[in-house]
Amino acid sequence: MPRYAMVTDLTRCVGCEACTAACNTEWSVAPGFARTRVKHTGALGQFPNLRSAFYVAQCNHCDEAPCVKPCPSGATFIAPDGIVKINKELCIGCGYCVEACPYDARHIDPGTQRADKCDFCASRLETGLQPACVTTCTGNAKFFGDLEDSSGGIFRMVYGQGAKRIQSAQVAVGPNVYYKGRKHEPELVAEVFPPRPPRMPVSGQWWGKVLLPVAGLMVGATFAGQAIAFFRQLGSGEERFEE
Amino acid sequence: MALNRRDWMKVAAAGPAVAAEAAGPTGRPGHHAGRRVREVATNCEMCFWRCGALAKVEDGRVVRIEGNPEHPLTLGRLCARGNAGVDLVNDPDRLMRPMLRTGARGESKFQTIGWDEALGWLAAKMNATKAEYGAESVAFFPHGVAAGFFSTLMKAFGTPNSAEPAFAQCRGPREVGYALTFGRALGSPEPLDLMGAKAIVLIGSHLGENVFTSQITAFSHALAQGAKLIVVDPRFSTAAGKADWWLPIRPGTDIALLLAWMNVLIGEDLHDEDYIAKYASGFSELVAYVKVFTPAWAEKITEIPARQIVETARAMGQAKPAVVIHPGRHVTWYGDDTQRARAMAILTALLGAYGRPGGIFLPTSIGQGKVNTPPFPVPKRDRADGAGTRYPLASEEQGVTNGMIEATLSGKPYPIKGWIAYGQNILESVPQRERTIEAISKLDWFVAVDVLPVEQNRYADLILPEATYLERYDAPHVVETAKKPFIAVRQPAVLPAGDTKPGWWIAKQMSKRLGLEAWFPWEGPDDHLNLIVGPLNVNTGELKARGAVSFEGRPFIEDRTPEDGQLFPTPSGKIELHSSTLKELGADPIPRYTEWADPPPGWMRLIYGRAPMHSFSRTINNATLNGLMPENALWVNESVAKSMGLSSGDRVRIENQDGIVSLPISILATQAIRKDCVYMVHGFGQDSPRLTKAYRRGASDNRLISRVQVDPLMGGTGMRVNFVRIQREVVS
Repeated sequence: MPRYAMVTDLTRCVGCEACTAACNTEWSVAPGFARTRVKHTGALGQFPNLRSAFYVAQCNHCDEAPCVKPCPSGATFIAPDGIVKINKELCIGCGYCVEACPYDARHIDPGTQRADKCDFCASRLETGLQPACVTTCTGNAKFFGDLEDSSGGIFRMVYGQGAKRIQSAQVAVGPNVYYKGRKHEPELVAEVFPPRPPRMPVSGQWWGKVLLPVAGLMVGATFAGQAIAFFRQLGSGEERFEE
Repeated sequence: MALNRRDWMKVAAAGPAVAAEAAGPTGRPGHHAGRRVREVATNCEMCFWRCGALAKVEDGRVVRIEGNPEHPLTLGRLCARGNAGVDLVNDPDRLMRPMLRTGARGESKFQTIGWDEALGWLAAKMNATKAEYGAESVAFFPHGVAAGFFSTLMKAFGTPNSAEPAFAQCRGPREVGYALTFGRALGSPEPLDLMGAKAIVLIGSHLGENVFTSQITAFSHALAQGAKLIVVDPRFSTAAGKADWWLPIRPGTDIALLLAWMNVLIGEDLHDEDYIAKYASGFSELVAYVKVFTPAWAEKITEIPARQIVETARAMGQAKPAVVIHPGRHVTWYGDDTQRARAMAILTALLGAYGRPGGIFLPTSIGQGKVNTPPFPVPKRDRADGAGTRYPLASEEQGVTNGMIEATLSGKPYPIKGWIAYGQNILESVPQRERTIEAISKLDWFVAVDVLPVEQNRYADLILPEATYLERYDAPHVVETAKKPFIAVRQPAVLPAGDTKPGWWIAKQMSKRLGLEAWFPWEGPDDHLNLIVGPLNVNTGELKARGAVSFEGRPFIEDRTPEDGQLFPTPSGKIELHSSTLKELGADPIPRYTEWADPPPGWMRLIYGRAPMHSFSRTINNATLNGLMPENALWVNESVAKSMGLSSGDRVRIENQDGIVSLPISILATQAIRKDCVYMVHGFGQDSPRLTKAYRRGASDNRLISRVQVDPLMGGTGMRVNFVRIQREVVS
């Protein structure tokens, strides 16, 4: 089984957002939202001694994805190949995963009222294609592949060329999107765009312990429809979050 | 010729889709979002680079566009605009039917009419103007490849007056400057061997914000390989953020820097002595001339420390000949732009970088066929825009737009009474907008051929709605300025929407109405394509299935054969460091630095540029691209903004020296720009209410460019000579 990962070379990235446009048109992402965006650190320092870098933000498909646990319906899960996926049939649009994601890589699609985010273009992978952002990248800055494949480029970049995860002492959840650069770029990005602590619903533990197993049973017993309706109702209420 | 037949055979075996080409759009099976779709190989027109695209079609609609991996230049990559082409073809604001003006010009009142009436109207107007004033009184403003059919029509009609902004508002000075030096213009895509470069020098060229897919791929590759990057720009651009040296030059002083670099290269023997001895003339004159232009001299003018001038010159010298001095694209800045391009060409020559790996490579002719037509009638009068006369080095093929507008206003040397604009918005692409509007008011008639209801169309008498690039055939894209030259097709992926028509169809229909059929001796797209491709020993079925076919190139001096002709087709047959042509014209044979006025206290110079997700004013209305960048911002130095009590996000208006005031725009207070200038991305602040997403979003730089400094050699409009101030009143 592969373990998928992505590497972005920030020296090569010029911030053109071909990736965003490819992703938005590939997946008909809701207007005003995106599964991946390129952020800019801004010019840091004092004129004329300035530094800057682009940061290609997207779902990091974390080993310990904080978005999985607060999901009350079990819609968000980690697939065996490492891709963090959303089962849209199960999603109730409660938005807990959006709050939980340290990389702000999720949104609720206002049309479908479901959570949405990058899934490494899983259906493209099935037809032998690379993710749309990788294929189109004008700077040839994005690389995708199997971290288990020791002969592959991703393996080499991560284990041989020092591609780094964007993590912090507070938030280290094993992201599988790595960043490299010839110069200062990865360090600058980690400094300017550190992951934020996940915000979990105050009642999350209660849901996690009690409701999820029940939901699992109900789904298993073909009561899925009722279960989803039940959770939708729950999800529509106001909820407090804490870090 | 290197042809890989394997994929073609696969496609051919796929079935009738390919064979059905005559009946309509062609295609091959493909996938989109897990569904089976039809894929059509074509080339993009979201800008003029024409990257290879695969349009994915489902139920007669383009649902997605990806790069075509078989395209020899762009190798399957597309920029944001290329990906977003799907939102052009499906734009609800598109022009769908011919429209005839019913209200006053500018009032935007039209009635829809049929093509028969529309073409009849235009033919009658053209013939009436020809009868009363002569054919030359019709002027044509083209943009882009697809204009070729109309250019043929205009020449056959008998007018030489065709002028495109691509020359006098864009690349003209560099084409002239490099042709004076090396004997040939650069052309587009510019033949830069960025992949192999060890040092890259950008002078106001903002690669990364100015995105041409293959050029960015090569640029990024070079940076990842450790190429040294020197960026000269008053603004800390994307490229500056990646540079080894960012030189925030005082605007307008680039020639001083270039002369000082030459001084160091020659003074420290860092130039390519053998190359210069073998290929160049005028070296001794150059040596004597640049002796006084020391780094210390240049520091005072450019505000770049002499130490950095020396360091960067040495970096170039060490990397030679693998140095790309990027010639830039929009280079009409100060009116001495041909001379600045000359200085860049001379610097390139000193580094031995022309015709060498890692520098500028040489074009390879592939000898495509042409449409055999009778010779065009010889116009009875000279061009009206001064190309070839008042502006002796202006291209007579591309013309001088501002000269044409001037002639229309003055009626001299003779009246211009009818305009046809194709594929562009003259109000945004040519400066001094008010003069353009005034010139239109003097016309008997003005016809616009376009895809979208852009601003100029409000002033048109007749609007002809063209099919988008995804719905039409265009003349094939023959690229000789690639290391492996190639030919690529544009072919329809879907049928034209509404009552839109391809440009070739419109031009051919007009030829029938004007009795000029002899210049259109082909039946339709396939017939036309065969005439061009004929001599190339290329299977057109294969070409259409794959989108492009490439050939062997001879890009470097050592590859050249006698069939390539003279290495340096200048008057002397050598690289002219000292230009004999300029000397004859009484101009400076070696570039001279000219001091331009700085902004008065309280004013700042207006500079402008591009964003990677937009092509001029053409894409602001595109749903996806508008989502990525809905409006522009005004970059202001942080301390200047602070002194005015302004911070990022504040909405202001800008006023120029002639009292022209912009639409509201947001401030970006940043360290990333000098204090003496402000910057904004071009193309915003459009005034066409029918462009629902672009209408009055952001501010237009072009409206504020009410003054120009015209290049006396080629007529280009230097546009960085306008000063602005920020109106302190903050608007909500």
